[in-house]
Amino acid sequence: MDVAMTSTTQTVCPNCGSPVSEADRYCEACGAELKPSAPSTPALDTDSEPTVEINATPVSPCQSCGGVIGADGYCETCGTKAAKPRDHFDEQPAPWVAGVCDRGIRHSRNEDAMALAADPEPGSRALLVVCDGVSSSLDSDVASLAAARAAREVLTAGHAQGIGTESSRSSAIAARLKAAADAANDAVLDNTSPDSPNPASCTFVATVLEDGLLVAGVVGDSRAYWFPDDPEDATGAVALTVDDSWAAELIATGIPRAEAESGPHAHAITRWLGKDAPDHTPRTTAVQVTGPGWIVVCSDGLWNYCSEAAPLADLVRQTAAEHGGEPLATASALVDWANTQGGQDNITVALARL
Amino acid sequence: MAEFTASVYQNEFLPDGGTDVHAIVTVDCSGAGAAGQSGSGDAGEIIIVDTSGSMGADGVRAAAYAAQTALDQILDGVWFAVISGNDRAQLAFPPSPEPVMVRMDQFTRQAAKDAVSRFYADGGTAMGTWLRLASRVFATVPSLSQKHAILLTDGENQHETPEVLTQTIEAVTGQFQCDCRGVGVAWQVDEVRRIATALLGTVDIIPAPDQLAAEFSQLIRNAMSRGVAQADLRVWAPQGAEVLFVRQVAPTVEDLTSRRTAVNPLTGSYPTGSWGDESRDYHVAIRLAAKAIGQEQLAARVQLVLGDDVVAQGLVKALWSADEALTTRISPEVAHYTGQTELAEAIQEGLAAKAAGDTATATTKLGRAVQLAAQTGNEEATTRLRKVVDIEDQDTGTVRLKRTVEKADEMALDTASTKTTRVKK
Repeated sequence: MDVAMTSTTQTVCPNCGSPVSEADRYCEACGAELKPSAPSTPALDTDSEPTVEINATPVSPCQSCGGVIGADGYCETCGTKAAKPRDHFDEQPAPWVAGVCDRGIRHSRNEDAMALAADPEPGSRALLVVCDGVSSSLDSDVASLAAARAAREVLTAGHAQGIGTESSRSSAIAARLKAAADAANDAVLDNTSPDSPNPASCTFVATVLEDGLLVAGVVGDSRAYWFPDDPEDATGAVALTVDDSWAAELIATGIPRAEAESGPHAHAITRWLGKDAPDHTPRTTAVQVTGPGWIVVCSDGLWNYCSEAAPLADLVRQTAAEHGGEPLATASALVDWANTQGGQDNITVALARL
Repeated sequence: MAEFTASVYQNEFLPDGGTDVHAIVTVDCSGAGAAGQSGSGDAGEIIIVDTSGSMGADGVRAAAYAAQTALDQILDGVWFAVISGNDRAQLAFPPSPEPVMVRMDQFTRQAAKDAVSRFYADGGTAMGTWLRLASRVFATVPSLSQKHAILLTDGENQHETPEVLTQTIEAVTGQFQCDCRGVGVAWQVDEVRRIATALLGTVDIIPAPDQLAAEFSQLIRNAMSRGVAQADLRVWAPQGAEVLFVRQVAPTVEDLTSRRTAVNPLTGSYPTGSWGDESRDYHVAIRLAAKAIGQEQLAARVQLVLGDDVVAQGLVKALWSADEALTTRISPEVAHYTGQTELAEAIQEGLAAKAAGDTATATTKLGRAVQLAAQTGNEEATTRLRKVVDIEDQDTGTVRLKRTVEKADEMALDTASTKTTRVKK
């Protein structure tokens, strides 16, 4: 690469010399990818932890035709761009907990992120974290993954019991969720250059299940649900979170959900993590879970196509039934379903089977 | 050691259902060194001079002087020969009944100059015989990796049928490169251009014999500065894709599409001849099967290859998008060279129609050429066009054919029609 590309702040395209804004990812004139200039982005080294395995160069054959992927990252037979590991990944920390994070169809990169943890004993203890990078900001894909993993680290470290009563336990978990959001926010800031005109930002949703107590915390419009199998279950199919969004504020004033969520600012969020975030304290909800059911934590890439809790519960149950109740297969099938609906956004689905 | 770089200029965004990807690939070469000194083989140079009767005593004298000037520019150590041609070809130097070449040194240079000074005008014109002899002469030196000739003619190829010339051109294509020059106005641009195009050379008019020496000297200097003996352009396109065309578009327009030889089912190779320190632009057009919005794929790998070594690669991409702001953007480079290619065609077709007496077509085509030259900022073309047509309005391409035109001006417009200007940055 030529020196100009790495040693100057990019005011002109290194490829064609046309003027470009620092926020541009591609040159408007020639389409060249504008690599972030090195001095302003020290924290974005993709070779460093924690993103190393997901940002590694793919070695698997072409997903489209099975051909060999060339050194330039494209299939040598059909030319399909090799999927970057960051574009699609899954996690299954225990057989009963799994999630899939996918680029979707319309977006050029995957700014969703997910970090899961679970104890082996089914229904015992699970931590699900999903962050959705805001696509109008720079490097949200790096920031969101760092945020999700930082939150998981905080959540797995503690196992606060409080004084043993349900309310004290849920308060203790809520405090850990707050600490997790703080850590996630710090991770976003660590991945934002100080003088970025367009700082990285992302949503945050996490659920902690411990000993039958499920607590969810949210900043932004990613969601958590509890879908008990038993139709007579008093809790029913519940959304554990309320979006921090323009649409949610409209819904709160009585405008029907379908109308609010299809409005011009439906996807504008009112709270987020990041440098310019006004407040990132998660709002928490606790629910005591008794019988079997599904914990679902997802980004708007899924719920855009099925926003009401009851139909989403039906979708999850039906999809799970088609896949023998296996969490990874079910999460994968739900991502596929969202892609067949259009895949307009990145899609993340994390599940725990109780 | 020569270094190559490739840069791609394109709008990779395609609308929903879009299939055609256009890109300009600029290949730059630096550090090429001098002919025959790269260690990959020797360089050979043959000077071919028309000594037909039509040249006349003065013409031959000017041609001999020009050849002597050219001999001065051939580097010591380069293998060379001089051919004099009329309706048959003779090896003027080295003096030998059989094809042969010698290395340039102070003695062979002087001996060659002496031989050239004995040229005299006689006989007809059969350029095919000259080319065949040049090919046989080059073949006598197996160590040659770079073979270049300059050919001077003054007249029509009257003593050979067009079919024979065509067969000869096909037979010698790939054997050597040849820059062709016509002196005076009695030669046929189309005929000589066919030779130059096939042999990866240039064609131009030298209006007066006294301009020969400077032109020859320059041609040989250029040839001697090409230290990269031979390079190929390789174009890979994905399975199921169609390569619509591959064109060199700068410094001149040359359609390479039909010169493809298959490297493998997905990759074609196009000869580009020798390289000096220079920059060439290629326009590659690929037709793909449309993919879904948001999908990205590679449309072409465009490589410059020395032997089997890929020394530069440019990637042409396709990215389907629903964003009209992206998909409707036109690459200025692609637009510029599309216009320049059409300009070359309009000039050649206009002049052909004019020669055939079809005034209406000639006026339309040359009018379009005036318009394109103005739009693409090709001032040289505008200047040449002005000598053939009166321009009423260059924006609309409204012109009238001039009543009297200097034949040399018309030929200069024709030979220079393929010269392009670069995109203004």
